[in-house]
Amino acid sequence: MPESSDTLTPELRIGHLYPDQLNMYGDRGNIITLRQRCAWRGVTLRHITLDLGETLRPDDYDLLFIGGGQDKEQDEVARDLREVKASALREAVESDMPVLGVCGGYQLLAKFYRPAEGPELEGIGILDAWTIHKGKAVARCIGNVALQWGEQTLVGFENHGGRTYLGAGAQPLGRVLAGHGNNSEDHQEGCVYRNTYGTYLHGSLLPKNPHLADHLIRLALRRRYGADADRYMTPLDDTREWQAHDAMLRRLGVTPRHEAAAVSL
Amino acid sequence: MSSENLPPPPSMAAAARTARRAGAPPRTALAIVLGRASGGLARRLGISGGTSLPGLVAQYADPQLIRRLAAQAQHGCVVVTGTNGKTTTSGLVAYTLRAAGLRIWRNREGSNLARGIATTLLRRAGASGRLADGGDGAFVLEVDEAAFARIATDLQPRVVLVTNLFRDQLDRYGEVDTVAERWRASLRTLPATTILALNADDPAVAALGDGYAGTTLYYGVEQTPTHADSDSVAQVIDTRTCPRCRTPLTFAPRFYSHIGHWACPGCGYSRPTPQVRAQVISAGLDASRFLLETPQGAAEVSVGLPGLYNVYNALAAATAGVAMAAPLDAIVTGLARFTPAFGRAEEIVADGRKIRILLAKNPTGLNEVLRALSSDHAAGKKRLLMLLNDRAADGEDVSWIWDADFEQLAGATSYLGAGGMRAYDLALRLKYIGDEPQDVEPEIGVALARALEKTPSGETLYIIPTYTAMLAVRSELERRGYAPRYWEQEDA
Repeated sequence: MPESSDTLTPELRIGHLYPDQLNMYGDRGNIITLRQRCAWRGVTLRHITLDLGETLRPDDYDLLFIGGGQDKEQDEVARDLREVKASALREAVESDMPVLGVCGGYQLLAKFYRPAEGPELEGIGILDAWTIHKGKAVARCIGNVALQWGEQTLVGFENHGGRTYLGAGAQPLGRVLAGHGNNSEDHQEGCVYRNTYGTYLHGSLLPKNPHLADHLIRLALRRRYGADADRYMTPLDDTREWQAHDAMLRRLGVTPRHEAAAVSL
Repeated sequence: MSSENLPPPPSMAAAARTARRAGAPPRTALAIVLGRASGGLARRLGISGGTSLPGLVAQYADPQLIRRLAAQAQHGCVVVTGTNGKTTTSGLVAYTLRAAGLRIWRNREGSNLARGIATTLLRRAGASGRLADGGDGAFVLEVDEAAFARIATDLQPRVVLVTNLFRDQLDRYGEVDTVAERWRASLRTLPATTILALNADDPAVAALGDGYAGTTLYYGVEQTPTHADSDSVAQVIDTRTCPRCRTPLTFAPRFYSHIGHWACPGCGYSRPTPQVRAQVISAGLDASRFLLETPQGAAEVSVGLPGLYNVYNALAAATAGVAMAAPLDAIVTGLARFTPAFGRAEEIVADGRKIRILLAKNPTGLNEVLRALSSDHAAGKKRLLMLLNDRAADGEDVSWIWDADFEQLAGATSYLGAGGMRAYDLALRLKYIGDEPQDVEPEIGVALARALEKTPSGETLYIIPTYTAMLAVRSELERRGYAPRYWEQEDA
């Protein structure tokens, strides 16, 4: 377990699940952003890949990332997740490790994916949600998205054929201000359980949402170094990040509201 | 060619009379007349370059138009498809076949959907419904990878040339596997006389020859002095599993992305031995040289295009030449004579400054352009303006900029500008390689003006735009009198 936070350069280890199979839609941008935002604060982010067949040891990681992929790759990943990594992943989630699943990764963290035809794909059920593909006659959910996330906003791009529905007690990540979200019906987007975040937003997600990136980093630092880990979270100049964020909000007809909040990060 | 040189459209009654005399279906003649009239009208109204509307109208009048006109070309059709390099490669093919003495008709405006193909065909036809010059020529047509499946059957091509298959605009085309599967299905509808010219170094493309009944010519790079790096967080590799058994492939060597000498450790399937090969001597920013080896013999080739990706384009064109029985010396001459197509590595002179436009529309294309730019140390640091749009033709999802290796650009520029509809996304991407752009300006005209202000006479400004950003920057340059209107350029 971690050493005293006073003696060494702080370090976080991110486990990147199935980077060879799930590497669509600029997922690399999320890793680049986490690594760079850590580096700017003197925190080293070690990037460790977790491939098919490899055992997941929760103690070896401080946060986990799982991205989206093509359909044929989703099958073998789902099997590996269930058969090789499920119990360890559950243990990590229950011990409040921050986990981010995007698009296909979000679907795999949930209960099941029911394709338009063919067998149901079983997820690992960490998130109380499920996804149904209603066939080619129903249009894909494609386009830019803006969400209300607490007092703030999130922006991204979504591209998914399946519609995701949340169980009665499940908590969405945000409320859709523009775009489709989980299913284009209930104005919900994503799903959150403890520190596990599932979402359809890419774009990449984290570069234009620095407050979400920092939230994940803060959770990981606190879990590893305790509450005083917040001292590592020195404020950064996020002018460029918010310019890109706000440009998208304005384009979607949403008034940027986070400006005041951004200063307090 | 310019629309002003076209004969005025005859009356419809006259067209029908001519058509009856020539024995062509009146419907085809009517389609041609209507198509041309709509093109003329569009131009007079200044609606567009008129490269799509005539075909759209004409196809509505005669859904068999493409089939009827394409069948008349005595030397057949060469169809060029793939993700990257279609326009450049079809240009290279045209130069090669012209050097071999053939008359070539092509859709050079980059208008590569069914309607653009129909426009190209009907412009070469008279009101009789017959091709000009008795059909004594060949069509060289670049076809959009998604449109290919629908129109390949109508074109009944003599040669199908496939460049590569990369991730490109997933929101429009669907996933890479889906595209490969559609291609495979449409290749099954072609006559066995169609020759496939396939990139042996791209597993998904090479696998298209798997079980094909007709002749397949493979092309590939044997060796090159420059290689891909492999230390990226997650390499952008779209096809990394075996097309037959889905075991992860091994590459020795890998040239870039998933292009290289691949083999499957699972089932033993591997890169087919190419009949047309390149031994690369140099692949710089201004030109590339390689030894071309064909069944007819070997010769050194020089092409005025940057980077290894253009060696592949030239090699692909040489293979189409081989498939069309062009002599080796004509192939070499044609490749050497080539001048870049509209917006692809073309050079424009602007008040003593040089402007080079290097189109990049997906991460692999951008990686190769950035590599050519950053590995060219001869002229020191570069002035670079990057332009990112997110219209449908660019891909509305700009996530791909995070997959591209901008990192290789770090420290390689003396001026860096970000422009286009997603200028702020681009600026943010550049921030994360540690290079803050000096100018960030969504308006392309303004972004161009600022970049030109910072480029002294005698210096070169490199512009890397996405597709519609390229159109916008071209029109800005035209407005300033630096470049001709593209449809008025000579059909080289």
